[in-house]
Amino acid sequence: MDLGLAGKKAIIVGGARGIGYAIAEVLAREGCELAISARGSDAVKDSVASLKRYDTRVVGGAVDVKKPDAYRKWLEKAVDQLEGCDILIPITSAGGGLGSEKYWEKAFEVDVMGPVRAVDVVLPHMTKAGSGSIVLIATTSAGEAMGGPQPYNAMKASLVTWGKQLALGHGKDGIRVNVVSPGPIEFEGGNWEMIKDTMTKFYDATLRQQPLGRFGKPEEIARCVAFIASPAASWVNGSHLIVDGGFTNRTHF
Amino acid sequence: MDVKRQVTIERVSPAVAGNGTPVEKAVDPDLGTAVIPVERYISHEFMKLEWEHVWTKVWLLGGRSDDIPEPGDYICTDIGKESVLIVRQHDGSVKAFYNVCLHRGNRLRPEGIGKGAENFRCMYHHWTYGLDGAIEHIPDLSSFPQGCPPAGRIQPLPAGEWGSFVWFSLNPDVEPLADYLHPVNSHLSPYHFERMRLVRDITVEWNCNWKASVDAFNESYHVQGIHPQLMWYLDDVNLQIDCYGRHNRYLIPFGTISPRKDLPSQIPPPIQFMMQKAGMDPADWDGPMTGIRKAIQRHMRQFGHKKGRDYSELNDDQLTDDYHYMIFPNVTLNTHADDLMLFRQRPHPEDPDKMLYDIWVFELPDAETEDPNAEYRRPKHQHFKYGDKSIGLVLDQDAFNLPNVQKGMHSSGFPGLWLGEQELRIRHFHKVIDDYLAAGGVQ
Repeated sequence: MDLGLAGKKAIIVGGARGIGYAIAEVLAREGCELAISARGSDAVKDSVASLKRYDTRVVGGAVDVKKPDAYRKWLEKAVDQLEGCDILIPITSAGGGLGSEKYWEKAFEVDVMGPVRAVDVVLPHMTKAGSGSIVLIATTSAGEAMGGPQPYNAMKASLVTWGKQLALGHGKDGIRVNVVSPGPIEFEGGNWEMIKDTMTKFYDATLRQQPLGRFGKPEEIARCVAFIASPAASWVNGSHLIVDGGFTNRTHF
Repeated sequence: MDVKRQVTIERVSPAVAGNGTPVEKAVDPDLGTAVIPVERYISHEFMKLEWEHVWTKVWLLGGRSDDIPEPGDYICTDIGKESVLIVRQHDGSVKAFYNVCLHRGNRLRPEGIGKGAENFRCMYHHWTYGLDGAIEHIPDLSSFPQGCPPAGRIQPLPAGEWGSFVWFSLNPDVEPLADYLHPVNSHLSPYHFERMRLVRDITVEWNCNWKASVDAFNESYHVQGIHPQLMWYLDDVNLQIDCYGRHNRYLIPFGTISPRKDLPSQIPPPIQFMMQKAGMDPADWDGPMTGIRKAIQRHMRQFGHKKGRDYSELNDDQLTDDYHYMIFPNVTLNTHADDLMLFRQRPHPEDPDKMLYDIWVFELPDAETEDPNAEYRRPKHQHFKYGDKSIGLVLDQDAFNLPNVQKGMHSSGFPGLWLGEQELRIRHFHKVIDDYLAAGGVQ
């Protein structure tokens, strides 16, 4: 099946590691032109260098999504450099944290306003082009309790609601918006690798809940995101796709 | 080295360290690369040589000074086949004696701590000795035509105090304690162990040679093997090893992530715990993961007084890092600004495959969270066999491993220890044992 991604221009906010990088890699392999960002310049440089082996245009920049002006500027520049934007995948997250109010502020700024600011910048360009595809990344922890009461789960949940609203609001302009919620994903340098060593009981308990007996891999999320983002998924809009190997218990009727 | 990242650890310079604990890297001794013969860990013959030329020649850690503050307070501690009585005197000094009655050889006191003794009366026939060891009373003395034993006292042993600890030696001709401990006594004095309070007092019987236990704490090469969780809050690769005379140390950066791991996107829970312990809120941290260690140091320097802590004699690195000392032959000190985790490894009287592993943990009081008027209650001493109780995850990991090491050492397929550079302290340890054997005429 041809996904129709060749030549598409995609922006991935938070594309230097983990699921974000895996998405960038799948899109690059499919022939997309890419702009990726991350907080650290070294991480971006390494990722851009690595993605260039797919022989496609890849640009990147270090940017902190908590700094709105610089962030918007980078997004505009990315649209400029790519000469348009067909696909937007903002995947930044401040991660988990319990107790302090600061975690709410961080999750709001990074998990919510990271995507919001990106969508705000990109929408006019997509509207003008009369087409576009946005994929927001939430989490299975939005739909099922995980890891104690904390802003990460609640803030990510807001993306599911907002994604649907965006889909309804901008469909008329040819813009599709969908949400993908990954379950626990393990990779080198990822949080589950750290949890495995430092909170072994929690890791083992989570692993036991996995019907397939293992955690997910970044590329297993990335392939689904790539499909939903692609023209091949032209009739998928306003949907929320759970990609978790069957980890969550809820039955979706 | 099998690492994922090149990490440069920022360390305080010797100039900044000033008169406190020295930070200069000592020149590594050239100790070669020879195999350390396994007989040292398993043979009864070597065990006898050790007793004759090491245990009975060195200074040994007896206990804690503040366990015996008043005249007549005493510590009775066993080492190998011997038992030693360490007694606070009326003039405030300490004296040590063989814990044995001159009459028929009964032990005067069981192992442990005693308070306010007026004398030591043997349970068997009530021979009685003063705090200074002199015979005070022999029932029916007239029935001993030969009189009382000519020395008139239980046999004294050298005793002394340093670092809030009491020490003794089975060697009547041992050098002064300060000379023996040099230079680590001056290295450690800035920590002021006397300000710390004992919070854990445990003895575990381990099925391994005492040196296998010493070795386990003298290298960090095994962190990637059996302590995966430690790689998320210390640097097991970039540490500084220093060998001095008979003692040695290494300096391990804490509050940082091992170069063997990719940097995670979230602060690892153990580093979060370190930050919280220092009074920081990990949620506030917005900088790079690699900057946390220095930030903790700055925070402790700035706010330590709130917890009633005086770090004025410590350098910045000492506020986070493990300055890990080994006092020959058997004392391991995990030294931190706020706490000390001390291990004393003692040999079994007869069996080279067994040992006693003492854990003493000391902590500075926290003026912020603790009532300064609350009475301090010393923890009770616990003694159990390996496996009966947990002693904490890290030490359980070591404890699980060591009996298998000891078993493996008995194999015909194992000639001895094949040591790398990260294990220099183990090689140095054996070199010091060699020196003691040589001093006793053993080649």
